Amino acid sequence: MKILLAIIFLLVMVSIYIGLYLLNKRTPLPEGCEDLKADCEGCHDYSCTNNPAHYRKKEELQ
Amino acid sequence: MIKELCTLLVTSVLINNAILNQFLGMCPFMGVSKKRSSALGMGIAVVFVIFVASIVTYALYYLVLVPLHIEYMKLIVFILVIASLVQLCEMFIKKTSPSLYKSLGVYLPLITTNCVVLNCCLANISNGYGIAEMLVYSIGTPLGFALVLYIFSSIRERLDTSNVPRPFKGNPIALIVAAIMAMAFSGLAGIV
Repeated sequence: MKILLAIIFLLVMVSIYIGLYLLNKRTPLPEGCEDLKADCEGCHDYSCTNNPAHYRKKEELQ
Repeated sequence: MIKELCTLLVTSVLINNAILNQFLGMCPFMGVSKKRSSALGMGIAVVFVIFVASIVTYALYYLVLVPLHIEYMKLIVFILVIASLVQLCEMFIKKTSPSLYKSLGVYLPLITTNCVVLNCCLANISNGYGIAEMLVYSIGTPLGFALVLYIFSSIRERLDTSNVPRPFKGNPIALIVAAIMAMAFSGLAGIV
């Protein structure tokens, strides 16, 4: 029973996160904020969306 | 009680500082400390997210996880709460204040991976804090983070125009500065 409660609670939390993520994605950006970039040269955390590696061309990375 | 809360506030801001004493949040500490304006924006965003995340996680733990006897789920639940809150904050700021979004927007997603936030939420539980202590600790920890980030960015701005020996330019001198700052802050331990 406890495990079932834990799974249900986890599913609720995950669905809340997915819902908020989708809502955030659909919310239009304010004017003048379409191309915001952090002044960060990047570290080894490539999962970070601010890492400039995401904006570089494939050729530059190779 | 007030004296204890003041001690907790001073301790969490200066003595048990998240960056210089616990070595948490090193990624934004090095990455977002090149300009004072960026450091200030990141600091404000972290203060807001930690304060709200701590209240929500504290309530969830004692009102849901403990009654259901699923306390072992706290880590994954807290991570989901923090990630959801960051999305909510970003959406709210996008809609209500474009100017604030312009200064904070890019740093908001970074907070999801900031371990200071998770540590603060977990410490509130593991230290057995009451509501007042939790509120004080949850405002003190991010204030300490923001203070150190701002001081460090001010020093780095001045270092850019200083005559630093070539091998030490950039990150090496920044790490030396961080070490000196950590030593200086450890000297504050005697004030409490």
